[in-house]
Amino acid sequence: MVVGAATSLEPEIRRVGKALSEGFPSHRGNPLKVLDDRAMDLAAQDAELRAALFRFVDVVPACRSLDDLAAHLTSFLGEVHAQPPSLRAAMRIGDTKAGRAALGAAGAAGVRRMAHRFIVGEDPQAALPTLRRLWRDGIAASVDLLGEATVTAEEADRYAARCAQALDTLAAAYARMDEQPLLERDASGPLPRANLSVKVSALTPLLRPEAPERGQRDAAPRLRALLRQAKQLDAHLHIDMESLDTREAVLELVLDLLAEAEFADGPSAGVVLQAYLRDSPQTLDTILEWADRTPRALPLVVRLVKGAYWDHEVVEARQHGWSVPVFERKGDCDANFEALTARLLEARPLVRVAIASHNLRSVAHAIARNRLLDGEPRDVEFQVLRGLGDDLGRALAASGLRVRSYCPVGDLVAGMAYLVRRLLENTANESFLADQAHGVPLEQLLAPPETST
Amino acid sequence: MTTLPPFRNEPVLELRRATERSKLAVGLGELRLPLKVPVWIGREQRFGDELVSTDPGRPERIVALAAAASAEEADAAVATAQAAFGRWAATPVHERAAALLRAAAWMRERRASLAALALRECAKPWPEADADVCEAIDFLEFYARGALELQDPDGSQLLQVPGERNELRYVPRGVCAVIAPWNFPLAIPTGMTAAALATGNTVVLKPAEQAPGCGMRIVEALRAGGVPAAAIALLPGGGETGAALARNPAVATIAFTGSGPVGLELLRSAAEVAPGARQLTRVVAEMGGKNCIVVDSDADLDEAIPAIVESAFHYAGQKCSAAARVLAHEALHDALVERLAGAVAGLQVGPADDFGTDVPPLIERDAQQRVQRYAAIAGESGEIVTGEHDVPGEGWYVAPVVAAGLPPDSRVLREEVFGPLLTVESVRDVDEAMDRIDGLPVALTGGLFSRNPRTVQRVIERSPVGNLYINRSTTGAMVGRQPFGGNRLSGTGTKAGGREYLLHFVEPRVVTENTVRHGLVV
Repeated sequence: MVVGAATSLEPEIRRVGKALSEGFPSHRGNPLKVLDDRAMDLAAQDAELRAALFRFVDVVPACRSLDDLAAHLTSFLGEVHAQPPSLRAAMRIGDTKAGRAALGAAGAAGVRRMAHRFIVGEDPQAALPTLRRLWRDGIAASVDLLGEATVTAEEADRYAARCAQALDTLAAAYARMDEQPLLERDASGPLPRANLSVKVSALTPLLRPEAPERGQRDAAPRLRALLRQAKQLDAHLHIDMESLDTREAVLELVLDLLAEAEFADGPSAGVVLQAYLRDSPQTLDTILEWADRTPRALPLVVRLVKGAYWDHEVVEARQHGWSVPVFERKGDCDANFEALTARLLEARPLVRVAIASHNLRSVAHAIARNRLLDGEPRDVEFQVLRGLGDDLGRALAASGLRVRSYCPVGDLVAGMAYLVRRLLENTANESFLADQAHGVPLEQLLAPPETST
Repeated sequence: MTTLPPFRNEPVLELRRATERSKLAVGLGELRLPLKVPVWIGREQRFGDELVSTDPGRPERIVALAAAASAEEADAAVATAQAAFGRWAATPVHERAAALLRAAAWMRERRASLAALALRECAKPWPEADADVCEAIDFLEFYARGALELQDPDGSQLLQVPGERNELRYVPRGVCAVIAPWNFPLAIPTGMTAAALATGNTVVLKPAEQAPGCGMRIVEALRAGGVPAAAIALLPGGGETGAALARNPAVATIAFTGSGPVGLELLRSAAEVAPGARQLTRVVAEMGGKNCIVVDSDADLDEAIPAIVESAFHYAGQKCSAAARVLAHEALHDALVERLAGAVAGLQVGPADDFGTDVPPLIERDAQQRVQRYAAIAGESGEIVTGEHDVPGEGWYVAPVVAAGLPPDSRVLREEVFGPLLTVESVRDVDEAMDRIDGLPVALTGGLFSRNPRTVQRVIERSPVGNLYINRSTTGAMVGRQPFGGNRLSGTGTKAGGREYLLHFVEPRVVTENTVRHGLVV
């Protein structure tokens, strides 16, 4: 990193971060309390308990009865060594049939309540009231359709059909909403209102890490149809990134399709860059070189994220004896996030930039960096996750920044895997939200990342 | 020798990266075929072409031309190994271990070309061929360390009282005949051979008749590593060669991996004490299975389906660990069958050298016909839920098949098919599934998908299998992590890649010395 530039940014980062944190709604204060369940607070402190709760959340959809639910719950909790008194009481309730029914009902209700904070509706139609409210509050959205894993061609077709329907629903609904000038135009031109995030792993059952072309070939027709539809509806299509096993397949597929002549003048589309990957700077090279030689009416949107598959990547690499592809120290990852932020902002207008982070420091850095580069607020987007980053999103919107909320839509059954990942992220040891919730001083939260080199 | 670093598995290639994939393609390009494989006893080589191994995906492509060892040659090989035994047994264990480690290094330097050979000779798709080389290296590294530990005098656990000194030592048994299969053409023969050599036995290796080329590479590696030529012979050949070895009274140990009938025949013939024999023949046998995966009602099908597909269809189901039966809770049986059938419909049947291939050809025409026969039986008495499949015309390909609704007494539910044929049964609950599994005479691997810790515990207690896998695929056992081997008629209860495996290749000897002289402890 260029030390001089970084140092001169620091006062501005602190100023921006402080202003943002003051914009957090004081009545909630603590983002962890958003998960009103006391269980989450407990879970954050006890690894065994956390494991038990996650396993329970994970299995809820497969349970056939309240009795079955309670049997699972007590079975998981039975493996926790240091049981808080409330859990011991729950275990005793599980000894009788009536008790199990009550316990099962309470457990299921708890999980459902938690799920509703993250999942905005069973389908796009049901999500519309929330999406309208967000829009009115100056926050755009990207809808993500949750579902079962795709293991068959029929399931891939079903997911593609759901995406098509969602595009229709969203485009029609957003067309009737009032103007929000900040959300609708940046220096590169108009920004579509309707925005859908899709997963290539759901568009094909044939993603093979060692044979990316198989999944690409199979997903291409489905993705191409969605791109055509998005273009016709003037909607934005964002292609999510998943684990490293599928990165090559996903990135190549998207860049190849978008380079096809029919997509030169639309739709607006985007990809994701995962800053936790050690080789993410090279991936950004690939993206920028592509953008440079592929003129499009609407620049590619690059959403910069930390990455949500950290545990998976570490475990997979360790089991195979591979070098771990992700940064193992939070400071290194944060520093890379900032370096990529800088490169992306400097690469405009070749690409549009979306900074998707709940880390106050990363966000403040992006804002400060944008100012340093004389960028306008509308020329960088900030993305937050529904249910986790709501306060940050509101604070950003209140300070005149362009914000988009990533909104999962789908039934609770299919959404559980997503939910578990979000919960894990939120209670992880090095979670920014957990730090913030547990009163780590603002100065420390806004300090430059400590790197290992 | 200085102390060795702790064992770690040789990492498989990270084939999700294009750079790694291209390394393997180079290995294939450099492969010069056909190989000429001799009967190789001491320094004597006799070449021939009585045995021909071909590419199962393109049978006119000859991979190796091999001499087939006659009964006389088998006896000569055993005699040579017998003569070399005393010296190899007396070689200090750390020198024997060092030779194995150098053989491992030899293989490590040739990973791509060895994988390419396994790919061509046995139609192992790239990831599996690479894993086969890695496992061969693992066995060499693991047993080298194991032999050193076995000779560690501090490891003796005998009680000591004043006035006597007790010592337990392990000594090699003599000549070991290794009779190897083709389905892990590098790993399994290397494993059995390395175990015997590490502990001081000499070896006559008979590779599978379908894989003489791979067998030759193993012997080259060991000799290049410093194993004396007389201590490791290569004896390509068919069943008669194996039978000749088994009959020879000078063979002290038979290490066998292969089919049940052959294994049982070896056990029978080994039990006959030949006139003039001075030792009982020990048989270490790994045989077949009928491996079952139980899916309880609370299983996550998103994870179970891909794991079942991998277990049943990777390498066209030609692994002793492959899943043959799924026993699914009635609550999700229908959903499972539908999703499984859909997933199998997407599998690509094709040549092993295509990275996109899911199901490669079977090893030979007989295997192809056998699987087709069983599929026909399954179709007559039950329902084939998978549809038509594009299958290349040339080569020993068969389409992957899922059959459901078979009668409980169906042969297809009991006999080992050893191919891409999977059956699904509906069960009332996990206990019924366990009853059915308990009715089988074989017990190699098993699987369970359940998210209830109590169910998991119950199945662990009831399962008879040698290797039980919970919430994952049933294949891919790793040296040192999942010591592998079956119970009941699946094998002699040994665990390849486990610490106790070497004990089958040695004899324990106990020495007790009286240390009292004239009433004094000296």
